[in-house]
Amino acid sequence: MSYRIVTNNPSVRDSYKNVIFIDGTYEDVLVKVRDLVHSGVELIDSPLGASIRMLLSPYRSILVGTERQAMNADQILLIEQSILNYRTLTQRRNSEPQHANDYAVVDKALLEASIQAYEDMKCPTHSKFTGGEFLETRA
Amino acid sequence: MKLELRKIQIKDVVFGDKMEVNGGVLTINKDQVVAKLMEDHRVKEIKIDLAKPGEKTRIIPVKDCIEPRVKIEGEGKGFPGVTGKMVPLGDGKVNVLDGAAVVTIGDIVGFQEGVVDMWGEGAKWTPFSKTFNIVVDIIPVEGLEPHVHEETVRLAGLKAAEVIGEAGRYAEPTNVEVFEMGNHAEESAKYPNLPKVLYVEMLISQGLLHDGYIYGVNSQKILPTLIHPNEELDGAVISGNCVAACDKITTYQHQNNSAILDLYAEHGKTINFLGVILTPELTTLEGKFRTCDYTAKLCTMMGADGVIVSEEGYGNPDSDLLMICKRLEKAGVKTVLITDECSGWDGMSQPLADTTKEAVAVVSAGNVSHVVTLEPADKVIGSAKAISTLAGGWDGSLSEDGSIKCELNAVIGATSEIGYHNCTVKLY
Amino acid sequence: MSNPFKVLYYVNQFFGQVGGEEKAGIEPFYKEEKIGPAAGFEALLEGEGTVVGTLVCGDNYFNEHNKEAFAFIMDTIKAAKPDLVVTGPAFNAGRYGMACGEIAAKVTEELGIPTLSGMYIENPGLDTCVSKVIVVSTPDSAAGMRTALPTMAKIARKLAKGEELGAPEVEGYIPQGRRLTVFSDKRGSKRAVEMLLARLNNEAFETELPMPQFDRVDPALAIKDLSKATIALVTSGGIVPFGNPDRIQSASAQKWGKYDVSAAAALKGAYYTIHGGYDPVYANETPDRVAPLDVMKTLEKEGVIGKVYDYFYTTTGTGTSVGNSLTFGKEIGAELKAAGVDGVILTST
Repeated sequence: MSYRIVTNNPSVRDSYKNVIFIDGTYEDVLVKVRDLVHSGVELIDSPLGASIRMLLSPYRSILVGTERQAMNADQILLIEQSILNYRTLTQRRNSEPQHANDYAVVDKALLEASIQAYEDMKCPTHSKFTGGEFLETRA
Repeated sequence: MKLELRKIQIKDVVFGDKMEVNGGVLTINKDQVVAKLMEDHRVKEIKIDLAKPGEKTRIIPVKDCIEPRVKIEGEGKGFPGVTGKMVPLGDGKVNVLDGAAVVTIGDIVGFQEGVVDMWGEGAKWTPFSKTFNIVVDIIPVEGLEPHVHEETVRLAGLKAAEVIGEAGRYAEPTNVEVFEMGNHAEESAKYPNLPKVLYVEMLISQGLLHDGYIYGVNSQKILPTLIHPNEELDGAVISGNCVAACDKITTYQHQNNSAILDLYAEHGKTINFLGVILTPELTTLEGKFRTCDYTAKLCTMMGADGVIVSEEGYGNPDSDLLMICKRLEKAGVKTVLITDECSGWDGMSQPLADTTKEAVAVVSAGNVSHVVTLEPADKVIGSAKAISTLAGGWDGSLSEDGSIKCELNAVIGATSEIGYHNCTVKLY
Repeated sequence: MSNPFKVLYYVNQFFGQVGGEEKAGIEPFYKEEKIGPAAGFEALLEGEGTVVGTLVCGDNYFNEHNKEAFAFIMDTIKAAKPDLVVTGPAFNAGRYGMACGEIAAKVTEELGIPTLSGMYIENPGLDTCVSKVIVVSTPDSAAGMRTALPTMAKIARKLAKGEELGAPEVEGYIPQGRRLTVFSDKRGSKRAVEMLLARLNNEAFETELPMPQFDRVDPALAIKDLSKATIALVTSGGIVPFGNPDRIQSASAQKWGKYDVSAAAALKGAYYTIHGGYDPVYANETPDRVAPLDVMKTLEKEGVIGKVYDYFYTTTGTGTSVGNSLTFGKEIGAELKAAGVDGVILTST
């Protein structure tokens, strides 16, 4: 197994074996991922979704690696910044318990697509993700 | 390639026994549209309604908008690879019901927003308040799994646009727009001194309700690909993105991609427009690497001097946008980005989820967290449930007179990142 | 015509006509008069508003007795119930700017009264208030009074009437950093094409979304032999000796301090925190949690590092302006360099 799933989505927990289940919020999932990335675990997925609406989801599932490697400063910045952005976006929002099941379904479907994309690629090495300044090796 | 978009200006839309356009009035035979859409055994019921500019009507939750058209000369019926036989697009003559839009609604999941208000404050924020909208509510049979449900709704909308487009087959156009471009060798010989420009259109490509399709191919599975601008204007790109109301690119906006149109207008005058690169926005970091490297490589391979890059969505695609920019600028290609921003209610937060110093030329299409007030509607087409979702965004978002405070985020096309609308951001 | 709106004016000892630097220590006082710029300002209101009184305070007094000064100033303003509070203009005077900024920000935040100030763009006081207060952009010296006051008066009339202000460059105030969504006369794609054409033709263009600027510092080269290196400890965590002998501010620091730790094994027992930006319980229990002198001394004993530098440097990070931070950094850095320190451990909170 080359990846693990950090999730607070019960339907993901019930469908996969390689799960780090967080009994908590979306932000708790981000914080757990942050802790893992600080300890050298690879971040496979980008921590935030691609639409504002999914940032309001109570559930989030994120792929990470399985082994501790050299600490990746870019990935640390990426996850830290994602947590800050997440807080800005959601600070005033009410939760939507009536839609929890739908969010769980979409979160799981997006996770499935992500796993598929990851398996298609079979990247053996630690990602040296370079985005903008937050993520870039300063070279 | 030569494409003629023959615009038939629609001034009103009514229900009737025929399908026709007469003196700018579009008559729709409702039964005929319903019968066509009911051919899909996954559809249980179809409801069709009309919403006209200025009426106190609210449409919610909007899934997609599609421009009704009919090809009267050349290959390609409907949307090849999706609703029609596979043929290359971009050549021929198309009759366009200009000013009309098929707007599909339906709860695929409960948390969808996607408002179009036809009047008042709300109308200012969406380009689809100015079109005569034929609203198609698609109710599927029970027990469909979400992927199938989404596909059912998507196909029904495209088919509705196709059937209604037929109404314009024999109508006389009010004006004809011609899009013609030879191959690169020919165009470069014609305009040897004009700078070469490419347009990179990013598409959310991340799974259920977050997809885009090119000739029916899910963009999740592609490398960035080069496409002739005429192909997109002729219906090669379809939206399957249903959640980012303010900045998703609807099918209508692909058919009328404003970045393509504005670049085309300069072709042969100030620039040599080379074409469009469609780039998927993936979720994995390695995937982002691959697509961004590949996109920049296509641009340099083509010898572009300048590139416009448009984003779709907010969040992780910000990284793709800036990674592409960085690679292009480092390769000496002048780059302009179009994005929207999420700078919080007060506009004081950092606008993007990422940053790069190479992004020196950026067009902002608005702050998705900007709060607007929508007055109570006389008529709601769609779902009361979606209204309550919208109204329950935060404490105090629903006031006593029934008006709703919502973020631009919920309004279809408000902060279009292909630059389809007029919103921008100013520093105060 | 309705009653003229009431303005309360704040100036320092100099503009309050008390005296120069030698009077910078005077305590705040209030007079129901128009002192210094307040008179000219009122005339420019053309009868729409009136200055009901002027608060005067010494720059040093304000910065060194912040609490006492604020107590008097806030009580005075509460009692006078003005419709608008105007501070400055402070031009490029740093201590005066800090007072003008902090007072305006606090009045707006705590009393909900509109405030207006005026400063030169590089005044360190700008950081303390610009997001909350309208600050008119002024030249860098008092010679600019003639241009500053009319702009301030024009804006004051709008603020007092609750009118919306136009864009910063039109009205003459310093942008507050609020990014507001507005309509352009051109759609986004058209603006993008025009921006690209400008770039291709090497013409001027203006981005609509400037990327945030980061003050990047290249990391120093690694220390080759730590066992021979002298390492200094520096913190912005507000750790000071008991009693805070140098009166370092608990927020918006104006100074830094250095203390001899050559004989100490740890900070515990002699130091505590005066930092106003975090819960002090654990830092007061063991200040080494913020600035780990204890661990460094152990490492020194074990020979891992050559020597812990004799002095420990400290200030408060919270609310401290970027300008002051730069100054502190340069001053402390120069001292450490002169003392032959090889490396620094800098802790924040």
